[in-house]
Order: sequence, then C-alpha cells, then structure tokens
Amino acid sequence: MATTKTVSKQRKNFVRQIWIQSALIVMSIFFMLPLLWMIVTAIKPLDETMKSPPVWIPSKFQWDNFWSAFSYNSKDLGYIPFLVYGRNTLYVTCLAVIGSVVSNSLVAYSFARIPWKGREWLFGITLATMMVPGPVLMVPVYALFKEFGWIGTFRPLWVPSFFGSAFNIFLLRQFLRTIPLELSEAAKLDGASEWRTFVDVIIPLARPALVVIAVFAFLWAWNDFMGPLLYLTDQQTFTLSMGLQFFQSQHTGTPWNLLMAASLIVVIPVIIVFFFAQKVFIQGIATTGMKS
Amino acid sequence: MMFASVGKGLTTLGILTVGVLALVGSERAASRQTNSERIVVTYWEKWTGDEMQAMRRVVDAFNASQNRIEVRYLSISGIAEKTLLATSGGNPPDVAGLWSDQVVQFADADALTPLDDFAREFGIRQSDYKPAYWNEMTYHGKLYAMPSSPGTSALYVNRGLMPPEYNSPDKFPKTLSEFEKFIKKVSKQKGDGSLATAAFLPRDGFGGGSWPYLFGASYVDGDRVSVNSAGNLKAWSWVHSFAQRFGVRETQSFRSGFGNYSSPENPFLSGKLASMMDGPWFGNFIRLYNPKLDWFAVPFPYPDGHPELKGYTVLNLNTLMIPKGSHHPKEAFEFLRFVQKQEVMEQLCTSQFCNSPLSNVSEKFLREHPNKAIRVFDDLARSPRAVGPVKFGIWSQMGQEVGNAVDVMDLNQKTPQAALDQAQTRLQESWEHYKKQVLNQ
Amino acid sequence: MKARHDQRMGILFAMPWILGFCIFLAFPLISSLYYSFTNFSILRSPHWIGTSNYQELMRDDVFHTSLKNTLTYAAASVPLATIFAILLAMLLNTKTKGMAFYRTIFYIPSLVPMVALGVLWLWIFNGHYGLLNEGLTKAGLPGPPWLTDPAWSKWTLVIISIWGTGNAMVIYLAGLQDVPQSLYEAAEIDGANAWGKTRHVTIPMISPVMLFNVIMGIIGSMQTFALPYVMFPGGAPARSTYFFSMYLYDTAFSYQRMGYASAMGWIMFGITLVLTLAALKLSAKHVHYEGG
Repeated sequence: MATTKTVSKQRKNFVRQIWIQSALIVMSIFFMLPLLWMIVTAIKPLDETMKSPPVWIPSKFQWDNFWSAFSYNSKDLGYIPFLVYGRNTLYVTCLAVIGSVVSNSLVAYSFARIPWKGREWLFGITLATMMVPGPVLMVPVYALFKEFGWIGTFRPLWVPSFFGSAFNIFLLRQFLRTIPLELSEAAKLDGASEWRTFVDVIIPLARPALVVIAVFAFLWAWNDFMGPLLYLTDQQTFTLSMGLQFFQSQHTGTPWNLLMAASLIVVIPVIIVFFFAQKVFIQGIATTGMKS
Repeated sequence: MMFASVGKGLTTLGILTVGVLALVGSERAASRQTNSERIVVTYWEKWTGDEMQAMRRVVDAFNASQNRIEVRYLSISGIAEKTLLATSGGNPPDVAGLWSDQVVQFADADALTPLDDFAREFGIRQSDYKPAYWNEMTYHGKLYAMPSSPGTSALYVNRGLMPPEYNSPDKFPKTLSEFEKFIKKVSKQKGDGSLATAAFLPRDGFGGGSWPYLFGASYVDGDRVSVNSAGNLKAWSWVHSFAQRFGVRETQSFRSGFGNYSSPENPFLSGKLASMMDGPWFGNFIRLYNPKLDWFAVPFPYPDGHPELKGYTVLNLNTLMIPKGSHHPKEAFEFLRFVQKQEVMEQLCTSQFCNSPLSNVSEKFLREHPNKAIRVFDDLARSPRAVGPVKFGIWSQMGQEVGNAVDVMDLNQKTPQAALDQAQTRLQESWEHYKKQVLNQ
Repeated sequence: MKARHDQRMGILFAMPWILGFCIFLAFPLISSLYYSFTNFSILRSPHWIGTSNYQELMRDDVFHTSLKNTLTYAAASVPLATIFAILLAMLLNTKTKGMAFYRTIFYIPSLVPMVALGVLWLWIFNGHYGLLNEGLTKAGLPGPPWLTDPAWSKWTLVIISIWGTGNAMVIYLAGLQDVPQSLYEAAEIDGANAWGKTRHVTIPMISPVMLFNVIMGIIGSMQTFALPYVMFPGGAPARSTYFFSMYLYDTAFSYQRMGYASAMGWIMFGITLVLTLAALKLSAKHVHYEGG
C-alpha cells in the first residue's frame, strides 16, 4: 500500500518534471531568438545579413568578424578602442554598483523599518520623482553638472548612484517590508543597535533583493547611452555603448555583421555576470528558512 | 554599547564617504591637455564609420599643415541634442557638424556665430559655391555655416528591368506623361494582385517629402504656411495615386522598416523596384550589397508643358557651424577654411560618396568619383530648381506633419484635401506661435 | 525616548537620499515646472507666459492622439506583462535540472540594448517576408501587416514588450524565493491543491513585489520611448504609434519648444500620479506586508 503510493507519487513527479522541462524549452526558444540572430549575423559575410528569406546557416563562417569589430578604427585612433571603452565602462559600472547597493539599502531600511515622522511623505515624493519624464529634466541636469565642473568627467555617470535612486529604494523597501518585524525586535531586545540590526539581521535576509539591485545597477550603467553621450567629451573616455554607435553610419552603409559581433562582445560579459548572480537567488532559499 | 555600535557604523560610512570624495577629487577632467602650446579647437561631428575616417583624415591633414591650432575631432551620435544642451549650458564645441536644416532654428535663437567677417578676411566668396548650397548656409542675408559634404537627388534606374525603349539615359522618359507610360509598362502585378515589380514609388528613397516643388508649388507662400495650396494638393494626389494603383498594403510593405534601406533587401537593390530617387551616396550601397546591378541615373522627369520646371532635385547639406560661445571662433574658421580648399573638399566628398558644394569641380574628381553618375548629381546641384529646407524655424515640424498627412490619405482615413487642410491648420498655428515667441513679432 | 531615537535613526539612514534629492533632483524638477509656464526653447532664455502652454495642449490634437496611444498601450501591456512575468517566474522557481541556464536565457532579451534589437523586430514582424507571418501562413493563419496597418502597429509593440519582461520576472523570482517553504507545507496539510497554494500563499506573499512591478509598469509604459522611436519614426503609420514621450522629445529637441514639452511632462506626471494612486488605493486591502 505504502509502496504503491510512493510509486504513484514518483510517477506524478516524473510527469510534472516533463511538463516543466518542455515548458522551459519552448520558452527558451522564444527568448533565445534575439541572441541566436545576433550570433548568426555576427559570423556572416556582409552580403548575407538582412536577407529574406533569412539566412540561418551562413555560406561561410567569418570568425574574424569578431576581431575586426574588436579592433574597429584602431588604425585611425592609434589604440584598440574596445579595450579603452571596456576599461572606462568597467570603472563607471563598478562604482555605480557599489554606490547603488550601499545607498539604497540604507535608505530603503529607513523607509521600510524605522517609524519616523515624515517618512511616508518623503516616500511619496520619492515615488513621484520617477513620474516626471526624463527629457524635460535634461537641460537643468546638464546645467547642474556644468556648474559642478563635471562635464567631460565620469562623475555625472556614477556619483549620483551613491545617493540612492527612487526605483531601487522603492524596490528594496517592498522587499524589506516582507521580513517579519519580530525579527528586528528580537535583535533589539538582545541589545543590538539599529546599525547592528541592519547589518546582521536585515542585510543577510535581503540578499536576493540586494543582488537584484546590484544586477540592475550593473546593467543600467553598462548599457547607459544617454549619460555618456551628453557628458563625455573625449574619445578616450567613451564607453562601450557609445562604441557600438560607431558601426552605424549615415551614408556609407552599416556593417551589420560587425555591429552584431561588437554587440555580442558587449553583451556577453553581462550574460556571464547574470549567470553567476542568479545563483544567489538559490542561496536565498536557505536564508529564508530562518523566517518560519 | 548601542552608541559604540552606531559609532562603528558611522565610521564605516565615514570611510566610504571619504573614499568617494577622494575619487571625485582625483578624477581629472578627461580632456587631456596637449603638451604643445597649440590652441585647441573642439569639433563635434555626427559621422561614424567610413565617413568619420574620411573627415578624420582631413583633420589630421589640417593639424599637420600648421603648428598653431590643433583640431580635436569627436564623433558622436545625437549631435543635435548634445550641441543644443552644450550651447545652452555655455559649453559648446568650437565647430559643430550639423545639417543645414538647423541653420534657421539655431540662428533664430542667436546660437550661431555669423561668419561674414571671417569669410571676407579669409577670402571666401559666394561665387566659389553652387548657388543653391550657398543659399542654404545663409539666413536673412548673413552667412552662418560652411559646407562639408552635400548631396542631390536623382533617379536611379535598374537597367536590367528596362524594356529596350527605356534602357539608357537618353531614351528614359523626360516628362511626367512619358514617365506615366513607363510606370504602366514596367510595373508587374502577380496573379493575386500583389506587386512583383514596382516601376517607381515616390515615398521611397531620399527626398520623398518635397514633391510639391516638382510641380512648382511650395510649402510656404510669403510669410504663410501653404501646405494645402492647389499645387501641394496636385503633388500629393499624384503621390497618393501610387497607393491607390498598387494598393496601400503593397506600397507600404515595399518600404516598411528602416532596416531595409541599408541592406540587400532594399527594394531597389533586390530588383523589386525599377527606379528610385536617391542621393549620390546610394552608389555606395549598390557597391556594398549588389555590385553586379546594372544601373544608370537621370534627372527626374518634369511636368508636361513646363520646361521651366526641369531639373527638380532635393538638396542635402552637411555643414560646419561655429556655435555662439565658442572660445576660439577665429581658429575654428581657419579649420573651416581649410576644408573649403578644392582638393581637400573633393577628397572628402569622394570618400563620402558625395558631390561637391563648390562651383569649380575638377575633371579628376568627376572622373575618379566612385559613383559613376556623379556628373548627373553635380549638374543637378547647379539647377535653379534645387530644393532645400524652407527657411521657417518650424521646418522639421513641417516634414512630420506633411508626412503624416500623406500616411492618412494613403490609408484612406481622409481625402487628400482634408488631410492637407489639417496639416495646414496645425502648421500655421505653430508658425504663429514661433513668430510670436521666438521672433518676437 | 524610542520615538526620538527612531526619528533620528530614520533620518540618518535616509540621509543619502535626502541629500541626493536636494543636490541632484530638486533643482531640475523645479526648473522644469517653471519652464512649463514659459516659452523656453533651450537656446533662448525663458519668458513667463502663464498657463498658455497648458491651454494650447488642451487644443492640440496630436497631444490627444499620443495620449490615447500611450494609455492604450499601457492598458494592454501592464496586465499582460504582469501575468506573463509571474508565470515565468513561477516556472523558473520550480526545482528541475538546468535552472541556471533557463534563468539566464529568459533574461537575455532584457540584457541586450533594445535599440540593437529594433532591426530584429522589424525583420520578424515584416508583413511581407517576416518570420512571424511566414510561420503563421504555414499554420494556415495569414498574419496581418503588423508594421504598416495602424490597427496592428501598437499591438506589435505590446507583443514585443513581453520579450522585455525580464526585469519584472527577476524581481518576482527574488520575491518567490522569499516565500517560506513552511507556508506551502502548512497549506498542503490543509489539503490545498496547486491553484490553492498559488492563490492563498504565493500571491499574498509576493503582493508587495507585485505592487512594485505594477507601479513601475505603469510609469514605464507611460514613458515608453526607445523602441517605438527606433521602429516607427514619426509614429508611422498615421501616428498610430506616436507615443507621449516621442511627441515630448520631438517638441523639446527638434521643434525646440522646451517650455511646451515641460508642460507635457508635467501633465504626464499628473496622469501617472493619478494612475499610481489608483493602483495604491486598489491594492491597499490586498497587499500583505510582514514588516512595519
């Protein structure tokens, strides 16, 4: 009796696994399409790009497209632009990630877990700042950074992230509010200060959410195009997202294969970062075990 | 205990803050100083790719030609926005590579340095330039820009799709009624009514927004917008007739998507479109995507009985301007002057697949130009019927509104007259606004 | 004593944002509000013209068209994206082999800059030879001209927005990881089936995160810009894809009417605020917070 139950449970579980796997595979094809198309285009000869019906298997695999894209313009500039742009992007991105994680976790903690007068009011304003469309703020923001003497430096691209951003504060606040209040109260009864409660109790529990913030900050800084476009004024300080623009031209044709190869060079580090970051979500399961 | 721990927290934060501040302080403004004593002229340009390299060679040549001035070339997309913001922030480049379309808007806002005095000083004369291009660089009698590389539009014809009676520039239709016969003869529909070959589609290629000028009409009448005048109506009804004849779905699917233009799927390059209006640079796309294509280029046919309307062409002009607030306008102009030298200009225009804005053109340029039809484009640039942007500050809005009106009529949402009337009302209102708010009239 | 302590701590922890708001946002926000009452053109200094920008907006039919387009898009894409993202996140939260890869693959479309994909979408949705219609025709369903028929062009963008649900999906995933396993076990003991568990455990537990995603979805869809701007220049065909932000951007930077654009921005702010407040109000009863 007991064994048949286990067997039927096992079979049920097996069927369930098949369903899950097939759903995952179907969706994967759907989501892989952009990347697949980029890869195929990146290794094609130029005259097979953008053809209809689409060429899925190139007549010849031009792997050196990657090198051509990587060293594009290097003869004219005297250096390999992708290395310089990559270094610049890395610098800005690292600072932006550190700044975002530190500042937003502090502010969100205040909004989510410390009752103080004026907090709801300030939170309302925080939310509202996101509702004003960016283009109407561009002129005064530019004027501000000019006043600071920051035009032509990386500062407009990373300093603000050390002061929190509405999106991240809101996101983290929502997460922190799902953590039972008793946990911090218990810690405080044990004599822990606000700071210790924050560092020792809340931060470990909020790890999945902090990783999300870090991933978003990384992505945002990595792909940011408007910021570098407006504030950087020297070829040597350009970032990767700007480097991609050099492949598109007004009248001399776009080398689609090189553009896609370059885009892949830019995107692959991000995919790798995400691949490792998402593992932290799994660790999140272990920590939440504490909650019950 | 509690306070000690707050103290520790604050210390951590303090160290972090100091670290950040140190970074803020240590990060130098990125524009490096050259070790020489040269005056640095910053030059922002929209070009990327091969076009950028062509201009960079000019800049390098200028820097090598003297030892007082160093031009720093910066290639950026979104040049209009960036120049706008930087100029309003009092931090403009010394030279901005904008389009001639922007001359009026920027000049109205007093954001450009007039170049007349410099031109006189450096011996630049109006007669050095083809009149249509010179006209585009001036506004209210003042000179605001110098040309870099320009274009004109001509009709590219796929010889492989031509029946014998049309297969050379001499035999190709000269008037619109002959052109009409050509369209009937060459267009081919499949059994299901879909289009196999279109002889011509007026909304494809370059310059599809200026057709009223083919019929001698204009977007403006003196100080008024007149996009719904009889001439405009005639022109757009003619354009609309293509959608009626071939079906709106068919004409649109030929041109749906910008990804098509610079690709082998461009309908002209893939042999679905027998003729198309485009600029000299299109020769480069043929070379890139379908080098075996056999083609020739001719001026667009003119309306019957109106030989005075011969030579219709749409102009395109890349320019160099000196924004107000430039630190070294005179040195900037020295660079502009260098670009205007005939051999420099011809070299630039050759590598960018463009014709030359100068009235004197060397035989070598015409002979060695990579676009074999360059003479057609050069002749058209001298035509009195060459169309540039209207000198109204709302020019970009005009393009948008009229384009939308043609969409609306092609989709049969409104009659051509009603669609144009609507555009007229909106544009006239915008123009009144512009006059009141910008021109203070 | 505790209240005073909390007050101090709350402000201290929120300090980065308070400073950030004052330094980087207060001035731009106030400036743009001021501009909306002037004829500011970016290059010329602003002159006070009272409410005439707002009056003009009321009569401007392109403004009405773009507003209608934007609201339609938001009404279609926010619910669709919410459902889709939750389903995906639940699928990615199951225990099965290869999860690290699936998670990464599902997130890839959000990693690739939208603009780089513009061409891909045009190529997929092209009514003539597009991949989608080729597939549909084979299945015996002739597809519509997605890009050129005003009745379909907006829906094309709605469909594409599903590809970009990656960010919401990741946030839901982090939220799902936070749901204590014990709650499911308890529900199972009570005899709940899969739907019951979803309905009574999962949904309430991730409701704060849902609220976040819905509000961000509203704000984001109200400001949709990059993709339609690249895919449908000028909002073609016949302004059926001309969104509020595109009109705002054109007004500010090609028509150089920053004052008018600012007025549009603040109207958009008002509409988004109303929608957000409505979402907050509607959700007040249903969102379940553990913490304070």
